[in-house]
Amino acid sequence: MVYPMSSQVKAFDTKALRKTVLNMAYAGSTVHIGCAFSIIEILAVLYRNHLRYPNNDPRAFERDYFVLSKGHGVMAQYACMLELGWLKDEAIAQYFADGTELKGLSDSRIAGLEVTSGSLGHGFSVGVGLALGAKLRNSEQKTYVVVGDGEINEGPIWEGALFAAHHQLKNFMVIVDENGYQAMGSTHDVIELGSIQSKLETFGFEAATIDGHNEDAIDNAIKQLWESTSTSPKALVAKTIKGKGVPFMENNNIWHYTRLDSETYSRAMSAVEGSS
Amino acid sequence: MRDAFSDALVRHAKADPGVVLLTGDHGYALFDDFRKECPKQYINAGIAEQNMVGMAAGLARAGFRPFVYGLSAFIPVRVVEQIKLDVAHDQLPVIFIGDGAGFVYSHLGTSHQSTEDIACLRAIPDLSIYSPADRFEVSACMDLAYQSNSAVYLRMGKSDRGDVHSNIPNLTIGELLEVLPGNGGDVNFIATGSLVRTAMDIAARKYPTASVWSAPFIKPIDYTQVTSICRRSRAVIVLEEHSVQGGLGSVVAEIASELSPVRILRIGVPDRFSQHCGTYEYLLKEHGLDHMSIEQRIHDFLEAN
Repeated sequence: MVYPMSSQVKAFDTKALRKTVLNMAYAGSTVHIGCAFSIIEILAVLYRNHLRYPNNDPRAFERDYFVLSKGHGVMAQYACMLELGWLKDEAIAQYFADGTELKGLSDSRIAGLEVTSGSLGHGFSVGVGLALGAKLRNSEQKTYVVVGDGEINEGPIWEGALFAAHHQLKNFMVIVDENGYQAMGSTHDVIELGSIQSKLETFGFEAATIDGHNEDAIDNAIKQLWESTSTSPKALVAKTIKGKGVPFMENNNIWHYTRLDSETYSRAMSAVEGSS
Repeated sequence: MRDAFSDALVRHAKADPGVVLLTGDHGYALFDDFRKECPKQYINAGIAEQNMVGMAAGLARAGFRPFVYGLSAFIPVRVVEQIKLDVAHDQLPVIFIGDGAGFVYSHLGTSHQSTEDIACLRAIPDLSIYSPADRFEVSACMDLAYQSNSAVYLRMGKSDRGDVHSNIPNLTIGELLEVLPGNGGDVNFIATGSLVRTAMDIAARKYPTASVWSAPFIKPIDYTQVTSICRRSRAVIVLEEHSVQGGLGSVVAEIASELSPVRILRIGVPDRFSQHCGTYEYLLKEHGLDHMSIEQRIHDFLEAN
């Protein structure tokens, strides 16, 4: 059964999403801005064009599953959830205030977040289990998991990749946010990953690599992977820029951990506003 | 005991098609019946425990009722973080079976011996810990674990120590069962798993007025009952095939110290790894858990003030 995508009416304008992230980060005086900015376009395309939530209910039994395994990018997901009406403006304005719900990393007790992440390498396996469940039930539900490139240092990712391929979970798609950085430096310097697409293909995935900030490219690649007749799980490697959208943050890994002050907040907002 | 486990598993899987069994490539012969009766509900997740537990969380989130089976050295110890974050935090109904707890794999060494599993899990909220003593408690615990619709770790230790019950007990979660009635006072034994039978044998022979209690639940455990036992005792002897740090002995001592202080002897695995290879009986002796060593320790403890 195909459900209407309630999200179709939503714009998921990437400028607006980035502004929400900046507003949250400034309100909460928090970190991980760069981690959120690299996945803005990926999430915009997923929520706008692909994820199905019957009745716009984030916990609908027959929903598609979207697992943000790289929980560090959760502000990007909050921004989308705000657009969907799953979060209120106050939740954004009061980010990190005492007694509030939204945490700095993905927490599954929030409707709309499927896993508790931040300890990396968990969401991939949970996603494989969700996809396996859908397959066992002969359901059309699809599972998308977004992982970071640094995150795939974690062993369970590869355990899950073997399992997904062996069990032909063609309803499973991993999207790798290849922004080239992890907490302490570039992936080339910390743990060289080589060709992520080749690695996943070797594990039995049908894979493609695209510009992770080109919404049409992301959308087309996802459609093409689903249209494939193969029974393989799918992988989309998204080449992204950590901190994308704010020039002074782009490929500048200090924005993994740096907090905004009034001056950098204003400059960042202006940069997002002025970007094409 | 393993037959009782297999029977219960098959029974639940046949009654509920949402039950799925995940095994980390373990359970040789144990799952023959299950695979014959419910082949579509059997998933060998390979030698990949972390992924297996994550998947179980996903399956539970999708409405399934996963049983996750492994040796207790791996399930739960290798996957404590997956149990904490993916399962317990979400209050998902995943049942973990840790088989071969204690020194069952006596000849294989430390990698396969499991004497810290309870301690590793006790501090995780929204997770219960069951530790049945015989085949009847296994049946009752399997049913309660399924009915609880919550996350449970079920610890299965040495399976051939003999029965402690004559039929399946009518159990309530958290309850301790008096398996050898005494005069209600003086010395009370509280034991779990493989050492319940040992406690009964020692009490029957040496302390005929003592009561012996089986504790099939480490968490939750009935505080009122433990307090009541402690209040009427001159001394309490706790026995378990688990480290003395963080197991049943710790549970009883924590409760008693707050609610009803009494002298407690914690008999369990000392804070050290096994040194030698040998039979199960040999390993028990190495760790002071053979009958003679236990009797001596109890004697010394009761003699001392």
